Amino acid sequence: MTRTGALLAKNRRFIPLGATILMFFLAYALGAVSYSGMRDPQVFLNLFRTSPFYIISAVGMTFVIISGGIDLSVSGMVALTTVASAALLRSGDWNGWVVILLMLAMGMAMGAIMGAFITYLKVQPFIATLAGMWIARGLCFIISDDAIAINNRVFRILGQTKLLIPGLSDPATQQGAFISILVVLEFVVVAAAIYLAHFTRFGRTVYAIGGNEGRNEQSSRLMGLPVNSTKMLVYTLNGFCSALAGLTLAIYVSSGHGLYARGFELTIIASVVIGGTMLTGGSGYMFGTLFGVLITAITQTLIQFNGSLSSWWTNIVVGLLTLVFIGVQSLLTGGKAGRVSAARAAERAAGPGLPATAGGVLGAWRRIRARRGPIVLAGPGAVVVIVLAVLMINGAQSAGGGPATNSAPTVPSCELKPFRDDQAAGLISGGAVVVYERNGGPDCIEELYGIFPDGRIVGDDGTRTVERVVPAGDVDQLLIAIANRGWFTDIMYDTWHTPCGQCFAYHLTVTRDGQQKTVQAVDGGTDAPADYWQVVSLINGVIPHFTAAP
Amino acid sequence: MSATRTTSAWKRITESRLFYPLLALSLILLFDLLFVPGFFRIQVIEGNLYGSLIDILRNGSTIMLLGIGMTLVLASGGGGVDLSVGAVMAITSSVAAILMNPVIIGVKLPPDLLRFINDPNFTFAPLWEVILVSLIVATLCGLWNGVLVAYARIQPMVATLILMIAGRGIAQLITNGVRIQIFYEPYAFLGNGWLVLPFPLFIAVFVFAVAWIMTRKTAIGMFVESVGIGSRSSFFSGINEKRVKLLAYSFCGFCAGVAGLVASSNIRTSDASNTGLYSELDAILAVVIGGTLMSGGRFSLLASMIGALVIQATVTSMYAVGVPANAILAIKGLVVVFVLLLYAEQIRSLIRRFTGQRRVQPS
Repeated sequence: MTRTGALLAKNRRFIPLGATILMFFLAYALGAVSYSGMRDPQVFLNLFRTSPFYIISAVGMTFVIISGGIDLSVSGMVALTTVASAALLRSGDWNGWVVILLMLAMGMAMGAIMGAFITYLKVQPFIATLAGMWIARGLCFIISDDAIAINNRVFRILGQTKLLIPGLSDPATQQGAFISILVVLEFVVVAAAIYLAHFTRFGRTVYAIGGNEGRNEQSSRLMGLPVNSTKMLVYTLNGFCSALAGLTLAIYVSSGHGLYARGFELTIIASVVIGGTMLTGGSGYMFGTLFGVLITAITQTLIQFNGSLSSWWTNIVVGLLTLVFIGVQSLLTGGKAGRVSAARAAERAAGPGLPATAGGVLGAWRRIRARRGPIVLAGPGAVVVIVLAVLMINGAQSAGGGPATNSAPTVPSCELKPFRDDQAAGLISGGAVVVYERNGGPDCIEELYGIFPDGRIVGDDGTRTVERVVPAGDVDQLLIAIANRGWFTDIMYDTWHTPCGQCFAYHLTVTRDGQQKTVQAVDGGTDAPADYWQVVSLINGVIPHFTAAP
Repeated sequence: MSATRTTSAWKRITESRLFYPLLALSLILLFDLLFVPGFFRIQVIEGNLYGSLIDILRNGSTIMLLGIGMTLVLASGGGGVDLSVGAVMAITSSVAAILMNPVIIGVKLPPDLLRFINDPNFTFAPLWEVILVSLIVATLCGLWNGVLVAYARIQPMVATLILMIAGRGIAQLITNGVRIQIFYEPYAFLGNGWLVLPFPLFIAVFVFAVAWIMTRKTAIGMFVESVGIGSRSSFFSGINEKRVKLLAYSFCGFCAGVAGLVASSNIRTSDASNTGLYSELDAILAVVIGGTLMSGGRFSLLASMIGALVIQATVTSMYAVGVPANAILAIKGLVVVFVLLLYAEQIRSLIRRFTGQRRVQPS
């Protein structure tokens, strides 16, 4: 009795972490007992396959939260990365790897700018990152109002390569349990983060400066720890992670849109807290964050398998779990333990034991830092300006040559034309499986497309018609993708309201297995689920394009 | 002699809490004057006023309402902030919609009942009951935040984050995830009505008056400032710090509730996933522009109201210039950056040195 008590007292800081891991496996066991479908190993692997962006972003957020800050900009950064990479890849002139590097540089630069505001101008972290989120999301829509499909070889390889699990799959037929390259990437990121957090001087400094309502930061400063450069580095690192998360999302859904990742930051913060990291900073585990994300993922999976519960229960359950874990944290630490452990971390951080590589990076950083703040600010600023300039030039070029997006800013707005319901019904009765109409946009188009199961696609813009034949398999793929994204559920509700000046209005009917579903929507500012935009961008990928009007 | 008097008057003006918000507002209006023709035109239609300026007052009233509550929360100190106001708005609008129109879409209704629902004079609960129940729910949400902050001693940002995450889920649970259209005309008057000036403005001014009397004509305002500056010393001087915080958060919930009613009545829809989205950021920004420090202490409700107008004026001007709706977020972000720079200590000291030199010159 006393021995277990002593054991608990000694390891009380591991209790939240242990509880999280235990809860994950309990939840999985519960699901496996209740639903036979969950016993499929692929369902377990899908927990990882569908959440690389969450895990990568949560890793960066864990660093920020341990350092005593918060970063609300991740959702905007993720969306901006998807849109910017899709816009760069649209013209086809850009190598996928170059785009990836450029995006990572942009993320780091944005992170560094926000870090500079927080560190040097003493702005509250959540205000500074809030502004960052707004700017990033606004930039998405400046780059493109519409969802952009990504059709790049590198992205396709990264997203669609199946890594079969030995023993659970059949290599000859390529069937069975598999993971994607992104899953490997997410584990690499988690491993690197664990090393960075627990085995480098940088990591220990991060632990040392967080917690105790900013007093630890003051004492770390007095101890001579590089507080400013560490904070800058933490936000830069999180910018990098956000960009990487955005890239994985772009690869995963093979498109980019400014409405992706809404409410992303809340899920991430909740996952980090559920993973046992103190929101006040100074204490937490990377390993726990992994399980925090997995718990939100399994909550979603369980709710999906249940079938009768609505998807918004996920929000409520995650909110409740957050509450419970915050309660457990404040009970366990009671204020004192955090202070002690942070002080211990500070001692360790000041001590020797610096691995060569991290030391080199930090040393170089310190040398840069030594040349005072303006350079620190100006460098990332220049990178952002360059990236934006490239984006705009690129956008202008593709607008000139590309058929899909003729930007004609002289047209302020379109007169809204009614959808051609009769014609659409005619196409449906003629056997079309997908009827897609889009009106408006910068050029006031009015295009109606019918996609037939044999691969024939006809388009009609009121005056002209266009026709294209794709392999019948492509149409099948499209339908399966649409169905997989939950099209025939109530989630795909209409998001109709009067469109803004340059928005597209959509009217989309899909038939499959004897069911028919129609939604109409307006892009820009609507609350359509991300899946909706994925469907639209998938359709945009196959339909023929009208040549620009003479 | 007269020179020193003018300089002291100048000093009094620049050091007034309203100086920076008013300066920002006039800069934006100046921009409109130069670049947006007809921005200041006001039309009178059937005795009611219409125009871009009136639009600012009308659309800004939601932010004003949120700003009033948020001011007290920020002033109560200890990193006080309420991130859940947007979610509370969503909950309130869902409750109101379900009281007026408790029909969940998905249930096939007989056509005669359907006609009833589209009737502009039909409601299931009377208007006073709709408003009262919704506001009680909103105040309870605020109370929940207050209990977590004051009694459970959880960091405000974290405590309110819980309701921010779960709140939208709760709102969708209430309406079963369906957007409910509101046909009841008296309710729609809350957000769409005009009595010479738009009705939401009167609501905002009324709540402001209540808050002003509560904080400036009783000791509550001083208690809030005292707790915000030093909660420990307030405790020792006999102020019940916990109750003050509880009051501040409950009142913020109440304000968010009123804002939720106005917003849902404005678009005649209860939309659990969109009502009040990002509005917590607007509210915080309004208060920060108004000069109330994030660290708590002295506050000015009027300055927060002007801060709200600054935000709305920026948005309306951008619409007028033709910036697409979604890109406005970026402009807002830049405004935040500008305000942050203006309030940063380094820049402030630069400005002070600049105005200081000016003061020397005339003498």
